[in-house]
Amino acid sequence: MLNFKINLNEIDKIGKFSKEEKDFRLKNLNYFNNVGFPNKKQEDWKFSDLREIVSKNFSKLNIKSSEQEKSKINFIKDFEHNYIVVINGRLTVSDFRFEENDKIKLKSFTNNDFADRKENNPLINLNHALSDKGFFLEIEENYKFKKILVIYNLFTNDLNEIILNSKNKIKIGKNSELHTLNLIINQSEKNFFNNVYENVVLEKAAILKNICVQNNKSSGYFHKYSKHELSNASNLTTFIFPSGLKFNKLDLEFNLNGENCECNLQSASFLNKIDHQEIKTRVNHNSPNCKSYQKVKNVLDSESKGIYQGKIFVKDVAQKTDAYQLSKAILLSERSEFDSKPELEIYADDVKCSHGSSSGSLDKDSIYYLMTRGLSENESVELLVNGFLSEVIESIKSDSMKNFLKKKLADQLNGYKKN
Amino acid sequence: MLSIKNLSASINNKEILKGVNINIKPGELHAIMGPNGSGKSTLANVLSGREGYKVSGELKYQGKNLNEISIDERAQKGIFLAFQYPTEIPGVNTRNFLKTSFNKVRKAQGKKELDALSFLKILKEKSNELGMDEKMLSRQLNVGFSGGEKKKNEILQMKILEPNLVILDETDSGLDIDALKIVADGVNSSRNDKKSFLVITHYQRLLNFIKPDFVHVLADGKIVKSGTSELAIQLEKTGYKGIN
Amino acid sequence: MKNQDLQNNQEYKYGFTTDIENIKAPKGLSEETIHFISKIKKEPKWMLDWRLKAFNRLKKLKEPNWQKPKFPKINYQDLYYYSAPKSMKDKPKSLDEIDPKLIETYKKLGIPLNEQKKLSGVAVDAVFDSVSVATTFKDELTKKGIIFCPISEAIQKHPELVKKYLGSVIPITDHYFATLNSAVFTDGSFVYIPPNIKCPMELSTYFRINASETGQFERTLIIADKGSYVSYLEGCTAPMRDENQLHAANVELVALDDAEIKYSTVQNWYPGDKNGVGGIYNFVTKRGACRGKNSKISWTQVETGSAITWKYPSCILQGDNSVGEFYSIAITNNHQKADTGTKMIHLGKNTKSKIISKGISAGKADNTYRGLVDIGRKALNSRNYTQCDSLLMGNKCGAHTIPYIRNKNSSSTIEHEATTSKINEDQLFYCNQRGLNQEEAVSLIVNGFCKDVLQQLPMEFAVEAQKLVGISLEGSVG
Repeated sequence: MLNFKINLNEIDKIGKFSKEEKDFRLKNLNYFNNVGFPNKKQEDWKFSDLREIVSKNFSKLNIKSSEQEKSKINFIKDFEHNYIVVINGRLTVSDFRFEENDKIKLKSFTNNDFADRKENNPLINLNHALSDKGFFLEIEENYKFKKILVIYNLFTNDLNEIILNSKNKIKIGKNSELHTLNLIINQSEKNFFNNVYENVVLEKAAILKNICVQNNKSSGYFHKYSKHELSNASNLTTFIFPSGLKFNKLDLEFNLNGENCECNLQSASFLNKIDHQEIKTRVNHNSPNCKSYQKVKNVLDSESKGIYQGKIFVKDVAQKTDAYQLSKAILLSERSEFDSKPELEIYADDVKCSHGSSSGSLDKDSIYYLMTRGLSENESVELLVNGFLSEVIESIKSDSMKNFLKKKLADQLNGYKKN
Repeated sequence: MLSIKNLSASINNKEILKGVNINIKPGELHAIMGPNGSGKSTLANVLSGREGYKVSGELKYQGKNLNEISIDERAQKGIFLAFQYPTEIPGVNTRNFLKTSFNKVRKAQGKKELDALSFLKILKEKSNELGMDEKMLSRQLNVGFSGGEKKKNEILQMKILEPNLVILDETDSGLDIDALKIVADGVNSSRNDKKSFLVITHYQRLLNFIKPDFVHVLADGKIVKSGTSELAIQLEKTGYKGIN
Repeated sequence: MKNQDLQNNQEYKYGFTTDIENIKAPKGLSEETIHFISKIKKEPKWMLDWRLKAFNRLKKLKEPNWQKPKFPKINYQDLYYYSAPKSMKDKPKSLDEIDPKLIETYKKLGIPLNEQKKLSGVAVDAVFDSVSVATTFKDELTKKGIIFCPISEAIQKHPELVKKYLGSVIPITDHYFATLNSAVFTDGSFVYIPPNIKCPMELSTYFRINASETGQFERTLIIADKGSYVSYLEGCTAPMRDENQLHAANVELVALDDAEIKYSTVQNWYPGDKNGVGGIYNFVTKRGACRGKNSKISWTQVETGSAITWKYPSCILQGDNSVGEFYSIAITNNHQKADTGTKMIHLGKNTKSKIISKGISAGKADNTYRGLVDIGRKALNSRNYTQCDSLLMGNKCGAHTIPYIRNKNSSSTIEHEATTSKINEDQLFYCNQRGLNQEEAVSLIVNGFCKDVLQQLPMEFAVEAQKLVGISLEGSVG
């Protein structure tokens, strides 16, 4: 599996395409095949040698299989919500019972951008070549969602040695507002690869608040590239709570194209076993007076590895930029590892840009203090880790959402045992 | 000493000063009082030549037009501004900074620059007068100074640079009564018939210790009332709303 | 008057050329050139073999291309690899025998070599193009058992030490420019401090590039034996020429148990003119090994010169409880480019490292901090603290921070902070109000910004460096 190549014939198996589209797919597949899965020689993959990870864990990768498209979903009962159900990357059902339906367009994704590009990230080319599912959600102008939209992303238990490629697009019209909860539910216990390409567009003064939660540990190998385009005065807030996968890389790009827009990213993860997780961000300040804020927290146990690569880029015209980036990690085990590369690339002078990155052990004095109050060492650690991570949850406004997330976090940490 | 005629100033297209007239003769101490947002600090900034303001009207200092003169040249000609919030400058030793500033001003005025030893003598004398801990002078300029220490440092500089026109911008704010007395003593001991003062303050409190010759009330960018020190006392009773 | 002063200051003070007759190696990079260098240096065979091994390795290597500053392709066959004043061919035995032109050159640079006038408390090794001209205070140092001499001399007189340590920190296989240096290095300083000796004075090397179309490839090796201490200073200048000249030095430091090496650089190579024509390519490999327990290596650098600076003085913290430090000021103006930083590799237990980097960018310059902190699995209870601050003056320049941080150890802590901003306007206003003009205010504030690094320099150097900071930024404001 070390030299993973995909036969060009595979494209015919996923569907019938126009000549233009087929050429596009072939070109992209060639780009991918020339490079293969990225390895640590590529700067963006320095800390995540995907080629090695894939070759170690997969004996083959099917492109197409007869996947189940039905499965039982435990809908969230904690709060009222609209929902979309996506099974193995494919849009199945939706329900916008709390909204005005004529303001919302939802359909399966069809790509019509066939621009020829060799991407830095070969997995994007792979997605362009093979993507055959996904959804396109569009919110009209001047419409504010009344209830949150939950996107149930279900992965069925029959997935095994397969690679799923999907594309999603969310577009929010002028002055509109949407809150989403992206819930990932994985029922497969076998190895499979999920490769997502996502495009989020915020028009003038649009607001998107997005929370992404992985419900349970699994042996999935996930890669998601997500590109966000922000127009004037738009506002994007993203919270990410991954629970740990065998491999998980989120490659997030934020383009602050209009003036006075704001982007806020926060993340908290608890990784253990052999979880390997990388969050890579690139915030491009392309216009003046924009603000960006990033906070990434990781707790690492066992043999897990956490990575944060974050870049703030400030174009020469982007005066009065205010950009901040913070990464904090706690290592609980001697075999865990945290790597970071917080990068600043700045070409405008009237800016305020800073970053901080720290990693280390839990404060021994705090553990000691808690133990003198009668807690066991494991309980003390659990309490402190919970406090460290739930700080991110605290900055979410909705109480019901806060409680929901705190429960999820508590489940993850439940019965922490020092190993 | 200073003649301000029909002075207007705006920043970001917002007019802050709308035609101010003040005339200060040598030896006089004028107080400017006014509520928050009346334009007091803008007046101090404009007099010192701070950039960013669109200024019109006449500003004459010692008979010469100030409008085209840069901040440092004004300082060298003897205009001293004691800041409301003295700026912290990390890494810069306070003592060295004072010496640099002292010699710059002296040189510009055609006086001989002093060597380190002679300067330190003066510095020691003046800081003792203010009851300042000399250790403070070894620290970085204003960095980590308490509010009181910062203000004392401003008064120390005022004494050392021997300016002709002193502008005190809310020097009393954030001071306890002991520090306030020290600051006031510092001002009073520097008063003479050649030196002029413009004291900007929100409260009458400072004027109990520094007796002004004239008091002006600034409101919404204009002098709405002028008088003697009695006016300050009256203000304290009636508040700014009692004016007019 | 004022303008006149400004112009005088802005000119690169050390841009003069010494007109002197040289012996040069044949142009180009070849085995022949290496034989020539080795022969003229009267080297033993093992040294020649070592060079040839590096040269063979070099053939398989490519120039690195990951660094930010890009430069036009260097034609390695169009360079001289050895150039030395003819008068230095038969080694002068005393200062009286040295060409007065050389003595005069160093006098002009502020480095008197005459016994009567030499700098007090600083022993100087003066390197002119490819050869060491003179070393002062030699006798006094010899009494303490300290060896301070040109490396070409050490190869002949102390082969056992050179064999043992040369290439032990920077192997000949390292990377393109380091390997190139290993093949063709000409001169540089050698320092050995015997056990439990505290070197009584600062040791210093002054590098001067004079000849045109010549690369300077110096090699410095400093060994601090158990319990010893040495403080070493390095200064550099070059004439103003409109060609780019290559300077690819290797510096290796070895600190054994309880030893400490303090290495300071004030780099003022010719930066090129306002339009970016000419200037030195300063591609330097500097690396120190804290090989013994409780050892310490501290790098301090003030980088104001060169068209392109590309160097990462690093510490390999092998010994338990060893300490690595890196203090850096990098100032770039006009078209200058700097990509500099450090690597702190923690291998031993309880190792500590500290990085303070101050980058200032003006004009159309580009300034990058690039660094690696790597705490290995076995480096229990280790610590790193990093602070990187950048100042931008104007919006045609760039400031970049690229740290790589790897923590593989739960008992170790890494802290990294970085900021980028412009000069605070309130600070400028405050200084102006106290009678300082714009340039004086900028110089004062920037020096304050650099204070944490400047105070690491030995006294005599610190004063020079402070002035240099001001001069380097002249014409960048207003």
